[in-house]
Parts: sequence; structure tokens; C-alpha cells
Amino acid sequence: MDRRRFLKVTAITGTSAALASCGHPENQIIRFVPEEELTPGIAVWKPSVCPLCSAGCGVIARVMDGDAEVFRNGQPGVTRMGLARKLEGDPAHAVSQGRLCARGQAALQVTYHPDRITTPLRRTGERGNGAFQEVSWDEALGELVSRIDELVGKGQASAIAFLGRPRRGQRQALVGEFLRALGAPAPVSFALFDDGVARHANELSFGRYQLPTLDLARTRYLINFGADFLGTWNSPVAQGVAYGRMRQGQPGVRAKFVQVEPRVSQTGASADEWVVVRPGTEGVVALGLAHVIMREGLRPATAAGRAGTLVDGWAGGLPQFTPQEVERRAGVTAERLERLAKEFVTYGPSLAVIGGAALAHANGVVQALAVNALNALVGSVDAPGGISFMPTEAPPARPARSLRDLVSASPQLLLVDEANPVFATPSAARVGEALRNIPFIASFGSFIDDTSVLADLILPDHSFLESWTESSPESGAMEAVSMTAPPAMRPLYATRAMPDVLLEVSRRLSRPLDPPLPWQTFEEVLQAPPAAAPAAPARAASASPVTWADAQFDGDAATYPFHLLPYASQALHDGSLAHLPWLQELPDPMTTAMWCSWVEINAHTARQLGIALGDMVEVSSAHGSVRAPAVISPGIGPEAVAMPVGQGHETFTRYASGRGANPIRVLAPVEEPATGTLAWSATRVRLARVGGPDGSLVLFAGATRERPDHHGRG
Amino acid sequence: MAHRWGMVVDLDRCTGCEACVTACHAENNIPTVGAAEAARGRAMHWIRVERYWEGEFPEARLTFRPVLCQQCDNAPCEAVCPTYASHQTDEGLNAQVYNRCIGTRYCANACMYNVRFFNFFHPQWEKPLQLQLNPDVSLREAGVMEKCTFCVQRIKAAKSEARAEERELVDGALQPACAQACPAGALVFGDLNDPESRVARLSESPRGSKLLEEYGAEPKITYLQRQGWHEPDAQ
Repeated sequence: MDRRRFLKVTAITGTSAALASCGHPENQIIRFVPEEELTPGIAVWKPSVCPLCSAGCGVIARVMDGDAEVFRNGQPGVTRMGLARKLEGDPAHAVSQGRLCARGQAALQVTYHPDRITTPLRRTGERGNGAFQEVSWDEALGELVSRIDELVGKGQASAIAFLGRPRRGQRQALVGEFLRALGAPAPVSFALFDDGVARHANELSFGRYQLPTLDLARTRYLINFGADFLGTWNSPVAQGVAYGRMRQGQPGVRAKFVQVEPRVSQTGASADEWVVVRPGTEGVVALGLAHVIMREGLRPATAAGRAGTLVDGWAGGLPQFTPQEVERRAGVTAERLERLAKEFVTYGPSLAVIGGAALAHANGVVQALAVNALNALVGSVDAPGGISFMPTEAPPARPARSLRDLVSASPQLLLVDEANPVFATPSAARVGEALRNIPFIASFGSFIDDTSVLADLILPDHSFLESWTESSPESGAMEAVSMTAPPAMRPLYATRAMPDVLLEVSRRLSRPLDPPLPWQTFEEVLQAPPAAAPAAPARAASASPVTWADAQFDGDAATYPFHLLPYASQALHDGSLAHLPWLQELPDPMTTAMWCSWVEINAHTARQLGIALGDMVEVSSAHGSVRAPAVISPGIGPEAVAMPVGQGHETFTRYASGRGANPIRVLAPVEEPATGTLAWSATRVRLARVGGPDGSLVLFAGATRERPDHHGRG
Repeated sequence: MAHRWGMVVDLDRCTGCEACVTACHAENNIPTVGAAEAARGRAMHWIRVERYWEGEFPEARLTFRPVLCQQCDNAPCEAVCPTYASHQTDEGLNAQVYNRCIGTRYCANACMYNVRFFNFFHPQWEKPLQLQLNPDVSLREAGVMEKCTFCVQRIKAAKSEARAEERELVDGALQPACAQACPAGALVFGDLNDPESRVARLSESPRGSKLLEEYGAEPKITYLQRQGWHEPDAQ
């Protein structure tokens, strides 16, 4: 017995004896030997990776000592340990560059959340009613292993399914290895805003199944078709840094930024010019710009190369996309289109970007192909001020299976890692019902959410600060970025790293895996990672041209006169962050709303329907309805209403459960056919006032007093 | 010469992303108050992003403006405080001494920037959210006014570190949490008494103006106007 162990044991037994008479075992004080690298009151900075979106920002955590209530060896107690107190961007990381977004700042609260799951849980009541009891890891692992053994024994390993969020790196690779060794199908990734359409189109146009890196700092003319690149899309911190340079990085040079979208987004608010288009016609505008550029002889059609030949009619100068035709279809005047086209090609380096709602249509791929071809036409691919594709050791893989494949295969056993499809799919897709019919569900989640509440067994993962983390982003920097970081702090609770749980399960199986997985711990995986799966061959270069298709909308225009435009919440993103109180109380930048949902309505429409600020309105599609308070906005057209995504969880901790409304649930289950991703901008709705303010619209009262007229743009 | 801390807010860079707002909450132990109290106007945000709509659809334009304590030289909040809780430090900060504050709220009424926040309750962090607290920043109790400090704890730490290493403070190395987080680099903090500092040079920009400067409070925050696009001479 070494000195440390001796101290631990005596400390535990000593204090247990002293406090036994108190009758509160939870107040038992366990004094461990303090962490040696920590000096009381002195902060050390430890690297980690923000897990909240796929941008993969490197962060540094400020770790200081403190007293924490923890679980050790199956019993609760208090220990003095290193605790992360603040997150900052890592100045040495090429994506975050020392900066961090609002969501990344709030990632700290994931670890210290009062409703975090602290031990393994087993369902006790009806599936979905949220009743669980604590069980030991041994028991929990035993149950999972016996379920897997049973299926493998019956030759039904293919009925085991894994559902996670899109992640890249060795954690994901290990999941793949585990499932392959078991004989189960490949894991499925699911996220509402997963950018599958953009990657698919980029593979067609440029041979890269990847999101682009935007060289905004050197762009002189940016046309952005709906991508929320300053808020939630792609790599927002890196893009924010580059945007600052684009605006004021070079004396006397200031790029023009044109935003093309039906509702002005937080990103669009920073544009120099807002071009209102009808939803789903962004690509028409892009092709109209290309038409003018080619007609004027400013660039030859051949300049676009393969990206051009993929667009039907390109070689002939896109005769069907005359400015007059664009005006008729997209609602952008011919005169304006001519001007924008000439400016775009004259004041380069030019850059066109498309994302977000513009791609969330059944015609998303052809919309993206149109913008890709426009970029290629003006020479902005792999050029300064344009788009480029970050070199990566393992580029993102085209998913082998989708959520729909998983559901239709009727698995017998489902492993869920953080994904929340019950929240983020339309009711009409009936994903929740399908999951309820799976005989056994195990979740690795840290919280009970709309999906993990269905689980039979919860095997809680560490928080990212307690885990090995990896950053292998697909975009956000010009050079390849790869980073691995050890845990920034010890685990607070009886949680276990999901990769280690998979390895433990593989060792406990009654029929050992053949060959066995060669690692004991995830740390070993990181040191000797599995060989990267061979990259899927790039699409044949002779891909045939794609003909323009108009966006299709669910619901007829007479009954459902408005387009419903859901958008990623600046604070809550796709809803996966609604449990963090800092983000719930973050005023929305466009409306100052906190802790709630709302419906943005054009002022003229609101007057016609007798709707005032805060009035409760009902938004109804052919598939259901939601209610939320109204916000009157000059930033949306009379043909559309917009709602932030993020609230409306049935269950997701004390801060988000039953709060607000979820617009995704009323969407039509329309998919983009090539990728199977949800076309979340393709639903029409009707709007009705159903009552006066119910008090749920919470606006931040703070505003500068006196003369508000003084503060406009000078 | 004493430092004189100031800031420049470049509205041409600000994207309204609110990284500054969460960063400030995390750094300064600002409590969240919950939906019901937020609806009564009691949410606390030492820095906020104001937004101004101009025009009507489809010509509407939106400009963001981060607003925090303007650290006025001639601060109206200070003159009205009966206990000198609100006072000017010799480095030009509008400091708030929590132990002196008796909660008259005169200062909040006097401040036209509306950047002072009153603690209507004892702040609460539902366990174990208290573990996120910054040990360098004291917690404020019910009945006490609080406000932006320009992260005075960071200023003090940087000064004592520089003193221990027998060197001067390096411009740009010391940043409040909001400026450190800001991706676009819209917030620039530094010493206005150092003519070589970035903040001092940017304060002289022809794009600069002070918020409500006609009231004579002499703020130490300069806002750089958002720019428009002008067609360059064709190449």
C-alpha cells in the first residue's frame, strides 16, 4: 500500500465513522488526496474540444480547485478537485483562434447541470413516462451484454442498431469497429441541420463530400444564399473571425455582402444589401446571375468546368434563366439581377455561399449545384477569397445508412448516443412510434430527453470536460487541423466514457468477438487508431447534367397561404442546447426574446389578421399545429412566417421541458430525394390568432433610454 | 502615468452573435433569473446586444449595437449615490462597491444607458451549477446594484503578474471576457492613456462617436459607425 492509497482509505473510513451518526449518508465527506498539479487559488489552462456542434473548435478550460459533491466507488461524498470554471477559445487552434461563440461559452453548464444523469439507470415504469431507478454499472453492463448475447446467439446481430450525432474522429471509428466485429450494420448519424445536401452537391461539383472553408477575409464581393454563417452554420467562430477581417481588416478596402433569403437572418442583418426571394428559388437567382455573366461575355461558360457541365443548359448560356424569367420566378427584379451580376464579376475576389433553408427543399441539390457552378464560373474555387476544401486525413464519409433505413429495418436493440430524433423529426414521420416498438433501447446520454426517455437502460457518458476529446474538423481553416486532448477534469459522477463502455461490453460477450478489438481503453484507441475506412470513391466525373426543378411545397396555397420558415436558434441551435440556462436566458439577437418560442410575422400580414405583439397565434400545417406568441417583424415577407427551432421539448431537464413550441413537429415529412434529409423549409401553413398575450413571450427589457431614434445606423 | 481603461466597439464588425453576453455571464457570476422573473424585467445582462430596425419590408435594415457600462468620466450614476458605492477609480472605472450599496437604485435611474442591474433576490445556482462560479469575482446579494466592471479582476491579475515579472502591461494581452470571446474582433479594450494602444488609436477614428454624448457624461467607449458599400473605381 503506497502512501496515497493509505491516506485515501484512512480518510474515508475515518470520516465515515465520524459522520455516521449524522444520519445523512449523502453528506459524508470523502477527502481524497488533492490533485498534485493544482495549487489552491491558481488557475491552470487545459485544452479540450467543444462538442456542441460539428465545427470542432479547440477550447481551453480554466481549471481551479474547489469542493465538489461527487460519486466515488459507488458512494456520494465531497472531494476537493480541479474544476473547470470558464471556457475560452484556444489561441493555438486554427479554427477557433482564441475565440468562442455563445454556445461554446455555455458548454461549461453541460458538466455542472443539475439534471445530469449521475449513475446508470434502468426503466421502471411504462416506456416514456420517465421513471427510472439507479443500478450499478455491473448490473447495467450485464443487462446490455445479455441482450446483445441473446441476439448474437440467435444469429440476429444485424438487428442491433446504433444511432448517434454526426461526429468525426476515433470515437466514431471505434463505434464502427465495434459494430462491424459484432456483425451489426454501420452506425447511423442523425442531426436536424446535418448539411448532407451541401456535401452531396460538393461531391458532385468538386469531388469533395465536405463543407467548404470560406476565405471571407480576402473576399471582396460575397453573395450568400441563406447560409447562417455568422450564427449557426458550418464553422461560425472561424467565419466570424474572417468576417471581422472582411469588414475592417484592411484599411480602405471593404467588401460588399449581399444576402439572398426570404427572411432576414441574424447573418443577413450584417449584409449591405438584402435581396428578398421566394423560398426555394435561391438557385434561380444564382443561375440568373450566371446567365448574365455569360451573356455579357464576362466569363466563358467553360470557365466553370465540371461544376458547370453538371447544370443542364449551362454550355448554352442558360437561356431559360433570363433576368425577366428570374424576376417572374424568384421575385428579384431583372434590373437588380443585372446589376448584381456585373458587380459580382467586376469587384472580385467574389464568393457565393449557399446553406440553411435554401438547401432544405426537395430541390436542394440542384440549388447547391447552381451556386457551385456560379463560384466555378467566376474562378472562386480554391482561390484566395473563395471557397476551398480543407485537407483532411479522413474526409467526411457519405453515410451508409439513414435514420429512415434504421427505422424501416425494425431493429431489436438500439444504442442511442445523444441523437434526439423524437424531437427533431416531424410528427408525421412517426419516428417516435417506431422507436417505441424497438424491444430494447440503451442510451449513453447525460440527460433525459425526448428520445432517451424511451430507453430501457441509460449508461451515462462523461461530459466532454471529463473525457478524451478530438477535433478533426472538415472546414474552418485553410490547413488540416487535428487535435486530441486528455480530460480537463476528473469525472464528477459514476459515469463512464461511451467508447470504454463499448470495449467493456466487447470483453464481456459470451461469444468473444473474432478477432477481438485490440484495445482495452479509448486512450489506447487514440494511440493506435483503427485504419481509416477507405474513402468512398468519388462520384464518376461523367455525372450527367441535372435539370432545374422547382421547389415543391406541402399544402395547397389556398388553404395554407404561408411558407413556414423554421430556423436554427442562435442560442439553442437545433434544440440540443435548450437545457442550458445561460442559453435559455440569452436574448435572441433579432427579437430579444428569452425562455420562449415565437412566430415572426410580417407587419402587413399581422394587421390583416388582427395580430399584435405577444398575441397567441396558431400555426397549422396539413400535419399538425403549434401555438406561440407573435412577434411582428419588418424582416420577413408577407408570404412567410418564421419560427426558431429549439424549444418545445416534451422532456429535457427542468429548464426546457414543456417550454415553447417545436415547429419541426408540424412539418411535412418531405425529403430531399438524393440524401434523404428532411426538407424542413418545404411546408406551407395557415395562421390564426387564438388569443391575447399569455405571458409566455419574454423580451429583454434592457434598452438605452431617451431618444431611441438617435441610435440608428449613422 | 495611471491607466485609463476604455473600449472601442466596431459596429462594422459586430454580427450580433452574442458571444460577449454568455462570456460575461460566465466570467462575472451573473445569475440567470428564470422565465418568470425575466418577464418582469429582472434579467441581468451586463452587456447586451441592442438591435435597431430601420425601414419597412423589403427595405428593412437591422443594426446591432453591443451596449455595456460606458465607464463615463462624468458619470451620472456616481453623483447620485448617497454612500459612494458608485464611484470613479483612479484608472477611470465606474466601480461599484457592493458592501457600501444600500440599494437606493438612484444610480440605475440616473444611468441613461440602462446598464445597471439590481439584485431583487439572493442569487441562486441550482446545485451543482455553483461549481461554474469564478472564484475571482464576488457574488452579489439581494438589495445590491451590480454592473459591468470591465472585468476588473482580470485587470488586477494582469497588473500583479506584470509587476511580479517586472514588466509593463502588453497592449491586447489583457482583455475583458466579452472582448476575448468576440469572434469578429468588434470589441477592443485597452489603455486610453497609452497613445500607442490599439484602443487609443481606434478611438480617434473618423467613424467614432459616443453613445448619447450630448448628455455630457463623457463615456470611455467609442462606437465606430457601421459602413456602407461604395462602388470602387472599376479596375
